[in-house]
Amino acid sequence: MARQQGWIALILALAIAAAALLFSFPLKLGLDLRGGSQLMLQVMPAGAVKTVQPEQLEAVKEVLERRINGLGVAESTLQTVGNDQLVLQLPGEQDPTRAATVLGSTALLEFKAQKPGTEQEMQGLLQLKRQATAVLNRLKPRTADSADAAAGAGDQAQQPDPPSIKAEELARALTQLGVDVPAGSSEQRQIELLLDAVNQRIVALYEPSNLSGRDLVSAGRQQQQSGSAWDVTLSFSREGGEKFADLTRSIAGSGRLLGIVLDGRSISEASVGPEFKAAGISGGGATITGNFTADEARDLEVQLRGGSLPLPVKIIEVRTVGPSLGAENIRTSLAAGLTGLGLVALFMVVVYRLPGLVAVLSLSLYALFNLAVYALIPVTLTLPGIAGFILSIGMAVDANVLIFERVKEELRSGNTLIRSIDTGFAQALSSILDGHVTGLISCVALFALGTGLVKGFAVTLAIGLLLSLFTALTCTRTILRVLMAYPSLRRNTNFLPVRQLPARAS
Amino acid sequence: MTTAAMPPVRFRISRYRNLAWWGSGLACLLSLLGMALCWLTPSIGLPLKPGLDFTGGTQIQLERLCRTDCPAISASQIQDSLQQLTFDTGAGSSPAPNLDSAQVQLLDEGRSLLIRLPELSPEQATKVTAVLGNTLGPLDAAGTAVNTIGPTLGDQLLRGSLVSLLVSFAAIAAYITFRYDRVYAGLALVCLAHDVLITCGVFAWLGLLRGVEVDSLFAVSLITVAGYSVTDTVVVFDRIREQQTTLAALPVVEQVDVAVDATLTRSLYTSLTTLLPLVALIFFGGSTLFWFAVALTVGIAVGSWSSIGVAPTLLPLFARR
Repeated sequence: MARQQGWIALILALAIAAAALLFSFPLKLGLDLRGGSQLMLQVMPAGAVKTVQPEQLEAVKEVLERRINGLGVAESTLQTVGNDQLVLQLPGEQDPTRAATVLGSTALLEFKAQKPGTEQEMQGLLQLKRQATAVLNRLKPRTADSADAAAGAGDQAQQPDPPSIKAEELARALTQLGVDVPAGSSEQRQIELLLDAVNQRIVALYEPSNLSGRDLVSAGRQQQQSGSAWDVTLSFSREGGEKFADLTRSIAGSGRLLGIVLDGRSISEASVGPEFKAAGISGGGATITGNFTADEARDLEVQLRGGSLPLPVKIIEVRTVGPSLGAENIRTSLAAGLTGLGLVALFMVVVYRLPGLVAVLSLSLYALFNLAVYALIPVTLTLPGIAGFILSIGMAVDANVLIFERVKEELRSGNTLIRSIDTGFAQALSSILDGHVTGLISCVALFALGTGLVKGFAVTLAIGLLLSLFTALTCTRTILRVLMAYPSLRRNTNFLPVRQLPARAS
Repeated sequence: MTTAAMPPVRFRISRYRNLAWWGSGLACLLSLLGMALCWLTPSIGLPLKPGLDFTGGTQIQLERLCRTDCPAISASQIQDSLQQLTFDTGAGSSPAPNLDSAQVQLLDEGRSLLIRLPELSPEQATKVTAVLGNTLGPLDAAGTAVNTIGPTLGDQLLRGSLVSLLVSFAAIAAYITFRYDRVYAGLALVCLAHDVLITCGVFAWLGLLRGVEVDSLFAVSLITVAGYSVTDTVVVFDRIREQQTTLAALPVVEQVDVAVDATLTRSLYTSLTTLLPLVALIFFGGSTLFWFAVALTVGIAVGSWSSIGVAPTLLPLFARR
């Protein structure tokens, strides 16, 4: 009896600990249950790198982490998956567009001096660029506002605003730059193509440089004193500051420009005044004046501060779930699970009587332990995870059914109650063990080789199987034995209908 | 007299073994036929109709804000508005996807819809949602779900699922050989193949007749069915082995009859208790888990049948005395 009391104390202590755990550490819900965005990224080998090494994956992850932190989404997580993948979760984020843009770009920032003798060509290109940008700025808000972006025919109705490029002028500029325009492109599309070509030409006019984003210590942003546009500020390391001073000194007062090139795209061209001829722009600071909007400035700042990616990444999966869809999923699945379990409990009590009741009690403890382990590890609960939980309850019930069937058999063959219970547990052990071990083998295979969803399922099922071994073999048994200490409960008819009992030997 | 040692047997599975074999054989043949038909159907071309998870692409789920008085909408209206949509491609981005092949599915009497598109970037998906908002009227942003899966991921998923399935088969066979015997392991695998095949067959037919697609959750359910099938079979084998000393004088057929009879109640009760939560999920659960629950229900029902009717009846043919 003393041993039983020890077990009861242990089970009670565990139950209280589990309840306390659940109370202080709430369950973590997956994005499919609470809403949010999930992006899966593939790190692509590039250049000399043929396969992605673990340390390169870590380096990519580090850079991306800095960029994501800059985005300001609460509780975002970034994890490596396999050898060359990363998964980013943004709870509550409904629009993954910005995250995708910020993650996808390599953000290779370079500061370059213009080649000597190209001043005239540069002037022409810059003028074209200014013109194109102005027209684009006029076109852009309109297309964003007007909802029927699909219907390109409506465009002619718009009033022409001052900054514009005549159709023939645009066509001439495009042919000059050798741009192929797909037939039927809209005006905006043509100008965008023109701008890309112009920016490429500008980049070609710069000398190669050794000053890159690596020399950058930090980046910031500030609003321009006149107007609403934003600037991005940079500060260089000591070495970078020296290189920047050298670079600016070489072109100061010459009319040649300093180009700021991001991912091979010229984002800003600055002239350096003659006053810097002696020492260059020293002090290690610079400003990019690109007429950015507040959001653009912020994203650029984040990219610059994050540094450049050692390897390019590609977004291979995006999943977005609305919060009410998630809540709906929880509600219905929970209701369904509880209904099913209620039916199982009813079934157990009707079929097995007193031990059925004990089983329901120990299965409730089982569910409590399960949830506590989820909170402790912590396991992020997803829909497949809940499915795994429900299935593991099925297996836990099976263990009890196996035991009670054996107990009934022993009773039918005329054994005493206590002997029957002991034999029942002992004989059911080997099949329970085999069933659970085979289940665990599947879980290991699934966890080791499966992908995201499958893994969540394997984890909850494996936890369920391990706990079910414990509860079926200790909780059910201990509670049953303690109850057997009461003579009023120690009756065969609490286990079997009278007609199934063997006639008393007389 | 050997019969003197024979315990009373209420149900003799050996009497019905021809029936059991015919039934299972027919079900397997029908499953194979379904998968073959699926394979020969040009629009599918695979034994099972692969879903978004395997083919790659973008799936957008939208919910309209109107609750009861939604203006009627047809799938072709949505397809029309999608065809008019053009994307402006920035420098260096991949060519704009062709939206002509969009599949539109209306759910809940047109209150929510499911649209299957070629792979879109997040920006493009946002634009599609915005444009559809014009056709459909106000949308409930909280009820929107957008999933995009690249083709490489689908491949990985398929390969990962198949490899984990095969590895777990091999590991389970090794475990049973270690605990029992090679014949038992072989039969457990036959049973397992039988259960997985019939589950796949049911979904092949569902794919042919109702357009049901298999996703990664289906792969999960197959693996679960495999695990469950083995567990169920092992319980019967455990009983046969346990009796081998007491009933050694009886022929194997009779030993099997006794074991099946003794474990029959347990097999039926266990299937019933496992099926109860699953049936509850089918009827009351969210739409996300519907086909998952169906696959598990079919697989577990078949699995419990094969552990009673297939594995034990085949054992006498292979068992060494």
